[in-house]
This record gives sequence, C-alpha cells and structure tokens, in this order.
Amino acid sequence: MSANERILAADPSLLSTAWSRTRIGSFLSQPVSWVFLLVGGIIGFLSLYPTFFLFYGSVMDAPLGVPGHFTLQNYVKAYGDPEAYPLLLNSFIFGLGAAGLSVIFALALAWITIRTNAPFRRLFELTAIIPNILPPILVSISWVMLLNPSNGLINGLFVKVLGLEKGPFNIYSMAGLIFVEALILTPLAFLIIAAALKSMDPSLEESAKTLGSGELGVMSRITFPLMRPAILAAATLNFVRAVESFDTPAIIALPARIEVFTTKIWREALGSFPTNHNLAATYGVGILMIALLFVYLYRRFTSQVESFSTVTGKGFRPHQIDLGKWKYLASAVAFLLLLLLVVLPILVLLLVAILPYYHVPTWQTWSNLTLDHFRYIWATPRVHRAFANSLFLALLGATVCMLLASLASYITVRTKLAGRGILEGLVFIPWAFPGTALALGLLWAYIDFPIPVYATIWIILIAYVTRFLPYGMRAVSSTIIQVHKELEEASVACGAGFLATFRRVLIPMMRPGVMAGWIILVTIFMREFSATLFLYSPGSEPLGPLLYFLYLDGMRGRVAAIGLVISVISVILIAIAQRYSHWDTK
Amino acid sequence: MIYGSLESDSAETVFNVFKKKTGIDVDYWRASATKVMDRALSEYRAGKPLFDIILTNDNPMQIMFKEGIFAKYDSPAAKDFTKESIDPNLGPRYRNVVIGVVYNKSVVSPAEAPKSLEDLVKPQYRGKLVMPDPTQHTTTTQWVASLEKLMGKEKAEKYIRDLAAQKPVLVESLLPAAERVATGETPIAITYVKYAYIYGQRGAPLDYVRLGKMMGDGHYLTLGNKAPHPNAGKALIDFFLGQESMSLIAKLGEFVNRKGVYPPLPDADKIQFVEMYDLDSKQFAEKKKEYQQIFLR
Repeated sequence: MSANERILAADPSLLSTAWSRTRIGSFLSQPVSWVFLLVGGIIGFLSLYPTFFLFYGSVMDAPLGVPGHFTLQNYVKAYGDPEAYPLLLNSFIFGLGAAGLSVIFALALAWITIRTNAPFRRLFELTAIIPNILPPILVSISWVMLLNPSNGLINGLFVKVLGLEKGPFNIYSMAGLIFVEALILTPLAFLIIAAALKSMDPSLEESAKTLGSGELGVMSRITFPLMRPAILAAATLNFVRAVESFDTPAIIALPARIEVFTTKIWREALGSFPTNHNLAATYGVGILMIALLFVYLYRRFTSQVESFSTVTGKGFRPHQIDLGKWKYLASAVAFLLLLLLVVLPILVLLLVAILPYYHVPTWQTWSNLTLDHFRYIWATPRVHRAFANSLFLALLGATVCMLLASLASYITVRTKLAGRGILEGLVFIPWAFPGTALALGLLWAYIDFPIPVYATIWIILIAYVTRFLPYGMRAVSSTIIQVHKELEEASVACGAGFLATFRRVLIPMMRPGVMAGWIILVTIFMREFSATLFLYSPGSEPLGPLLYFLYLDGMRGRVAAIGLVISVISVILIAIAQRYSHWDTK
Repeated sequence: MIYGSLESDSAETVFNVFKKKTGIDVDYWRASATKVMDRALSEYRAGKPLFDIILTNDNPMQIMFKEGIFAKYDSPAAKDFTKESIDPNLGPRYRNVVIGVVYNKSVVSPAEAPKSLEDLVKPQYRGKLVMPDPTQHTTTTQWVASLEKLMGKEKAEKYIRDLAAQKPVLVESLLPAAERVATGETPIAITYVKYAYIYGQRGAPLDYVRLGKMMGDGHYLTLGNKAPHPNAGKALIDFFLGQESMSLIAKLGEFVNRKGVYPPLPDADKIQFVEMYDLDSKQFAEKKKEYQQIFLR
C-alpha cells in the first residue's frame, strides 16, 4: 500500500473532496465555464430578482418605496372577492377566443399560401410579416376608428349604403376585443403553423393518395393530424399572449367596461387614486401563474411538434394541392385576411393622419386635409425625445439581448457543461413572464436598489432584455445547430481559445440567426407597450406610452401620424439589417 | 420638468414664449390630474422626484401639499390676483376649470339637446353620453360627490344612480370625453365647457348647455421642494402668472382668474361658478369604492 493509499484508507472523505476539487478545478479551468457562470449569473439575476420582488410586493402592506409588514390580506382581497371570478372568466374567454380565432386565420392563410396553387399566394405571405411593423396599440386604435358603434368608418358605410339606423358592429364588446387581439396575434400563429406545414414530408400524403384518398381525405386524415401539435402550440402561446396583453384591453376593454387581468392591474397600479401597487402585484402573481402553466403546456406541445417532425433531411417541396376553379376563392379568403390585417388599419391611419380632427369624411373633408399632425411631430420636443428613447432602447436592447442570447444558446446547445439545464430553466421564466407582471416586479425590485435604475430608461432596458431574451435565444439556437462542430474544433486545433473561436468562427457563422433575432427584437422594442407603460418616467418616455397618452387625450391624428413614422422607421431598420446580413453572408 | 394636466397645446403656447424670452427649455409631461398626482407622489415617496413644478387641479394639489412635496414660493406676479383667489399654500388660482354638458350639434340639434343636468337621465339620452370614469378620475369623483351642492343630498343620490343607469361611456379624463363628442362618436359629454370653443376652432360643431350654475375647480402651479432646477422653476412660475401668459391662455378658451377677462366662449360671463368639494385621500378611496358599485355594474 502506497503512502497515499494509506492516507485515503484512514480518511475516505478525502477521496471525495479531492475528486470534487478535481472536478471543480477542471470545470473552472475551461474559459467556457467562466462564460457560463457569468451568463448564468446575469440571466439568473434578470429572471429571479423581479420574480422574488413581485411576490414580495404582493405580501407587503405598505406602498411602493415604503417599508412594510408581511400580510396575506392582498390575496384575500384579490381572490377572496366574488368580483374576482368574472375577472378570471373574462380573461379566459378573451384568451381562448383570441387564440382560437388567430389560429383559424393563421391556418387558413398558411394553408392557402403554402399548400395550394391560389394566385398571388406569395403576396399573401407578406400578410403575416407586415403587421410586425405596426405597434399593436395602433392596430387596436385603427379598429376603434373603423368599428366603433357611432362613427366607425365601416359602420358609417353600412348605415349609408344599407340605410340602417345604426351601424351593425360594436368594437366595444367582448367580440370586438377578441377580434382585434386575434388580428394582432395571427402573424405569430402563422409563423408556427407555416413552419410546420413547410417541413412536412409529402411522402405520407402521397402514400394516402396512392391508396385512394381524395384531397379532402388526405387533409383530414393526414395533414391536420400531423399539424395538431403545431396548432395546439400556436393556440397555447397565443392564449398566453392574449391574457398578458394590455394593448387591446387598454383601448377597447377599459371603455367597454370589460375587466380582464391586465386592466385590473392597470386600475390598481396606475389608473386610479389612491393606487395600490400591492394589490396590483397580487394580480400580477395570478397572471404569472396562469402564464407559467400555459407556457409549460406550450413547450410540451412544441416538443411534440419535434417528435411529430417528418423532416428527413431530404430536399423536398411540400405537396401542392390543385384547387381548380376554387383557387380564386382561396385567393379571395387570403385577400380578405390581408385587408383585415394590413390594408384597413394602415389606410385608416393614413386618413386620420391628414384629417384636422377625426370624423367620418364628407365631401367637405377633402378641402380641409392638413399636414398639421406631421408638423406636430417635427415641432414637439416630447415627441423627439420619445423617438430617441425608443431608438436607443431598440438598438441597444436588441444588441445586448442578442449578445446574451448567443452566449446562452451556445452553452445550452453546444456544450456538455453540468448545469446548462439550469440555464434553460432560468430562461423559461422570462418566456412566461407577462409584461405587466414583470414591470410590477421590476418596480418593487429596483426602487431601493443601490444602483439608481428606478425611474430611468435603464429599468425599461432591463425589462426588454429580460422579457425578450428567449426570442433571441430561439433565433440563434436554430442557427447554432446547423453550424458543424468541425469548424470550432479546427479553430481550437489551431490554438484559438474559447473567446477567439466564439468571436472569429461562431459569431460569423451564426450571423444570419443573430441578425434575424436582432431585427425581430428591434421591431418589438420599437412598439413595446405593456411593460413600458408601468416603468417609464417622463424623461425616459418611449413611443408606446406617448401614443397611449395622446390617444387618451383625443389626439388621434397625432397618434396616427406618429404611428406611420414608427412603421417607416421599422421598415428602414429591417431593410438595413437585412441588407447587412445578406451582404455579409455572401 | 413640469408635470401637469393643462392641455398640451395651451401649455406649449406659453412655454414657447417663455423659452424665447429666457432661453430656458421646458419639458412638459401632460396627463390627467389623477396620473399627475400619482406619479408625483410615487416619485416623491421613492425619493426620486424628477419634476420642478406641478400644475393641476385644486384637490389633487391639496393632497400633494399635505404629503409635503411642495416648496413655499411667493411669486411677485401673485400681486395681480385678487386676495380670494390666492391659496395660502399653493399661491394664485390662475384659472378655473368649469364642468358642464357639451354636445355635438350635427348629431343632436339644439332643440333636441338636454337643457339641464336632470335631462341627461331621460330615456332619449341613454347610451348617448360620455363622461370620465368617476372610479378613476379624481376630478370627476369630486364632481359626482359635489352634485349635492346643486341638487341637495337626497336628490343627488338618486340622480347619481339614474346617471349610472344611462350606461354612459366612461373614459380616462375630461379631454377624451370632449374628443368623443367632437368626433361624433358619442353625442353628449360631461366635460369642461371650454372644449366647446377649443374644438369649435378646429371645425367641430360643438355647443354647451347653458346650465346657469356649473361646478368646477381651481388650477394652480407650485414648485416642488426637491425640484432639480428650482431657479428655472421660479422663473417659469413668475412668467406663467404674468399678464402676457394669462392673456394667451384666455384666448385659448381658459377661464383665467383676472377680473373682466373671459374666454371667447358665448355667454361665458353668465356662468355661475360653484366650487366642488375637496376630498382627502380617504374620502377618495371611499367614493371610488361607492361609485364602483354604482357605475361599473
């Protein structure tokens, strides 16, 4: 027995200690481990800190910024009150309705554009992309101007043409709320469903046809059963997005007196006097729980999409159905969706932006058209500052977010580091965190934080990076999977360290995914509203709150003009980013 | 930085002249009186007030004063105001805001328009009325609570229930209520009567009901006691309360507190102004709860 063996026999615990030391030592000896610890630490802090403080705010009895005592009274008040049940019911009806309708729209659009020979189908694919440049709050506002019961333009048209006493539609209703939210959520559902439709192996459908099934039979027995997980995933995600949304409820539910979770949080935290941030945090915990449950279900469904995946690596094109003369009807349906999602909202904004004040146009209107609302943008410092703030948040926020997302994706997808599962778990929280609840958590978290972040633009930046990190990770992860490991190994073999390999090999290879994620984030940050409304202060006011307050003040022309400028800026940013990304990958 | 509820266009007109004269930039954040008060109090409690001046209605100003957020500043311009219009804590009440009934003449003809507050609860006006939400908007909470000053307690209580039963459209504040009438989206509004003039200037066919007695509130502007730019704030207060600024505001339709100066609104001189009750934080909370039961059912 050697001297070492004798020592170990006398004290066996030394063996495990030494072994742990060796493991920790070897873990820490790799630069990637330090990156993992840093990224994990940042993401952990971003997700867990506001979560903790949201709970903290909900069990305190003193207002924001004032020391208090532990209490459960907020929960008794929020959920013990019989009035909370209509609130829950309304939120579920709203969420289910908007998710269901958006999936129907998306399914119809995806099927027509990808699987049929309907004329102009490529043009209709744009239907799902263009709405991303319009802030959702503007979509809601434009539909109020189209469908409000008294002087909505579509209602006005019906009254004039059909001689009705009053317009047939009322946007200020649960149906109106669901309809508008469904339009806003359709592009998201389209992305999920279209991706699944495109990646479907046609051989299964061809086999069914060979065995004598007609087009309808193939569709009902093969295509849609294969699509079911994607449809469920889209529906679940859109349910969460609807329940957490404040854009449409702020414009439609508040005047219609339909109380949903987010309007209740708004009422308690900001909307009335005296405000009650504790009660708002308690409702925030409720909405977070619902979102966590449904995002968990969404992830179950998406993992099923992957297990249902029929992608084989073979180059194939999805089977295209010849609709015969019905193809014109298919185009008409897609055109109707294009009209609802893009054409009508943009047209009404264009019209309102040049009216002196909003009204149903008459012949006299055409002589009163004005560019005053655009001049207002030019002449008002508050508007300039809001544009500058939003651009700052969009450009810096998207860059920081994509940097973190790239590192986190690399660690979770490419490395075998122990604990990388924790990173995935940490990202799950912001994925589910509703904007309103996250904002409340951040308010409680940063009011007494040693670094002065509260009431500055930085708290909004933190909210954006936290909440939208999963979007960035999703965009990068799919690209990293496609980058072959040999390239990294070659770099390491040539003597490059982790950081050099990451910077010189992986980042250039990941650039398409990073740029795609960056573009998505920039457009989202330019129009974010739900979280920003709770976090901004007058000096750091971005465009979302500005649009809302101008709308509340009845300045619809100004809102429309600013909205159009935002859309143009978003298009320019997308074009620059796309050009840069294409140019570089050539 | 000023937080205020004076309409942006009126405020900016004055601030632009101020900037030309002094070279001092003014950042103006406009929101309803409720939001102004809430933001100011939240920032103050958090120890991070960003505002130099608050410019809003009497009642929220009194609440903020009790919370200790204002500095005492006696502007030399105050000498041009009557003694009755000077509050010992807040300084001169530079204008009154008068709440009445405004209607769109292209939707409701003057003959068919209501003639009194009592008319608003008649069946023909059901669903045609817009007003700020009294469970959210403090000035409207005050207005509803003060109706007994015009009608007596018993009649006012019944009137409030009848008014809620008309299912009025409830909006954020008095400005969007007026805007809805201007667009014709809702034909009749409980709002500031000055909007009949302001929107009329833009071509909207508005008029207001000559109620005789109308309730309202005073408006003040006061320096914050932790103002980041106290001297610039004082300079602005002096200018704002001066003759030039008051004349500009009056021309824009405001009821400024200078003898014999009326806004260019027909029959403005015949309006009998009745000041609304002041409510404290506790009373606001109670009224909010009470009106939730009545208006949000």
